[in-house]
Amino acid sequence: MKNKTNNSADLILEARGISKKFGQQRLFRDISLRIEAGHSLAVTGPNGSGKSTLLRVLAGLQRPDAGEVAIHGKKTAGAHGLGDIGLMGPLVVPYRELTARENILFAARDDRDRDALFAMLEDFGLGPHADKQVGSYSTGMIQRLKFCLALAGDPSLLFLDEPGSNLDEPGKKKLYSAIGSMSGKIIVIATNDRNEFALCERELRLGQ
Amino acid sequence: MMPMFIVLNILMTATIVLAFLWAPSAEILGHSSRIIYFHVPVAWVSVLSFAVSGIMSIVYLRDRNTKYKLIEEKAHASASIGLAFTVLTIISGSIWAKISWGSFWNWDPRERTIVVLLLIYIAYFILRAALGDSPEKRRISSAYLVFTMAVMPFFVFVIPRMYDTLHPDTIINTDRKIKLATEMRLVLLLGALSFTALYINLYRISVRIISLRKTIEEDDDE
Amino acid sequence: MVSDIIRNLKKDLVIEFRTRVSFAISLAFAAISTIAISLVSGGAPFTDLVYSVLFWLILFFSAMNGLAHVFTREEEEGTSLFLMLNSGSDSIFLGKLVFNAVFFLILETVIAPLYLFFLQVVPASPGHFIAVAVAGGLAVSSSTTLLGAMVARAGGKGALFTIISFPVLLPVIWVSIAETAGSLSEGGAMSRGNVVFLLAFSALVVAISLVLFRAVWETE
Repeated sequence: MKNKTNNSADLILEARGISKKFGQQRLFRDISLRIEAGHSLAVTGPNGSGKSTLLRVLAGLQRPDAGEVAIHGKKTAGAHGLGDIGLMGPLVVPYRELTARENILFAARDDRDRDALFAMLEDFGLGPHADKQVGSYSTGMIQRLKFCLALAGDPSLLFLDEPGSNLDEPGKKKLYSAIGSMSGKIIVIATNDRNEFALCERELRLGQ
Repeated sequence: MMPMFIVLNILMTATIVLAFLWAPSAEILGHSSRIIYFHVPVAWVSVLSFAVSGIMSIVYLRDRNTKYKLIEEKAHASASIGLAFTVLTIISGSIWAKISWGSFWNWDPRERTIVVLLLIYIAYFILRAALGDSPEKRRISSAYLVFTMAVMPFFVFVIPRMYDTLHPDTIINTDRKIKLATEMRLVLLLGALSFTALYINLYRISVRIISLRKTIEEDDDE
Repeated sequence: MVSDIIRNLKKDLVIEFRTRVSFAISLAFAAISTIAISLVSGGAPFTDLVYSVLFWLILFFSAMNGLAHVFTREEEEGTSLFLMLNSGSDSIFLGKLVFNAVFFLILETVIAPLYLFFLQVVPASPGHFIAVAVAGGLAVSSSTTLLGAMVARAGGKGALFTIISFPVLLPVIWVSIAETAGSLSEGGAMSRGNVVFLLAFSALVVAISLVLFRAVWETE
């Protein structure tokens, strides 16, 4: 069911001349970029400059007003069952009435190794809470869960919107080292945090 | 736009004149049957507007303003005209009902269909208003029109299954069949054409307003 | 795809079971209405048509209370984006459709006996009564699933759902009322064709809704 690239040489994220308005306000105009497997991009800019929106447009969740986005050479438009991406951000909210385990099983679409998924939860310190409803979690725990959920489907493209927010120092360290040790993926991070910015090779600055 | 307007003038004048002066009066109803030349075409336009706005909505959903611009706005314009004509249909129908059958409203099958159409239009406008200025507005209102358009035929076919109709098939003459004299048929056809022309004219004016508004908006942007 | 639908259905069932509020409200509404009618009418007999109308009115308003919930909850809790990321739109729609059908059928299963008991009506043709209740229930729940999604995206204000559902539900309810009335007494007018009509209507509505849902569900 998932569109997985077998050959990571196919894996390219390309945007050509994309623009987006929010109501009457222009967020960004005529952005083009190209990212290949194993490479990463940081999107920076002041609050409200459209970083989160750009991430969602690149992920294929929102249509740009102009231009197009292509993943694996195929245009992405609208949301029709995105197979190969992971998104993490303040707007991606897991189900409060479900436990971490139930959420991650849902996100993994059932066809991944349960043990591996639960091990990931353990790895991020969620083991003892894994069977409690997410509604009872602290913001730091929810943030770590969101990261696990983004990885649940073993996506080739990872879009992270301010991944370190709500995390304490140890939490951030854990997260950054996990990101840093990934290989063969395309990673786009929207952030103003210097440490997160340092995880990426290139920068795209918005709001100028 | 002028030629269409002139055509409309000619057709409508002809219809009015012929309806009152030339067409024979019906067997049982007499002169009051002349309302048929207005009521039926107006009902026809209500349905036509609905179909047009439904089809445009389909085009919008597939195209999304890439090739055909402003088409959702046009669908909305057609629906506005349709709403007005639906109200007119109900009013003219009630008047005729009062004259022919003695009461303004009987809930006969055709009356039910037209009320459902009215409710659909009203629901559409309320839905569109509730969506405000959100980017979803056009998609969701279009989806609603397409959905109701697909469901309507089902409703229309339910009716014959459920009831006999009081509607004029049975009243214009004693045989309970549609047996209009040729002159009546002709004027009726003429009426249908005139009101279609009226619809087209109203539609084109609306489209003109929409384009102008869009141009003004775009100028403001720059 | 089927496993995806089941995955979605399971998720919704678990969540609704753990919160239970929405179902409880619909059920309470239906029960209270039934009891109120019985109380107020004081045992005076109605015609079959009136019994049937009241029955379907109660079901209609209970449906209006509950059938949009499965989508409006996602919007209110903010989980729509998470859902969109992890499931194809077809599976989401079909999962929620089945959920709504199950919800409504359970509601009917509780309310119908309650109604018949309190109003002291025994259908002369119970088979037909049940068939109409089921077919009508399927038609109501399938017609309103897409509309619930629309209302959720529009901000989910309560009356909006009723306004946009009513024109679509009118034929369904009209037919269901007529057939239910026929099933109540000996010699009542019944037509199996109408039950078939309701089922066919449900099928048509599901097909159209599935196609339109993709457009409704995406975000811009």
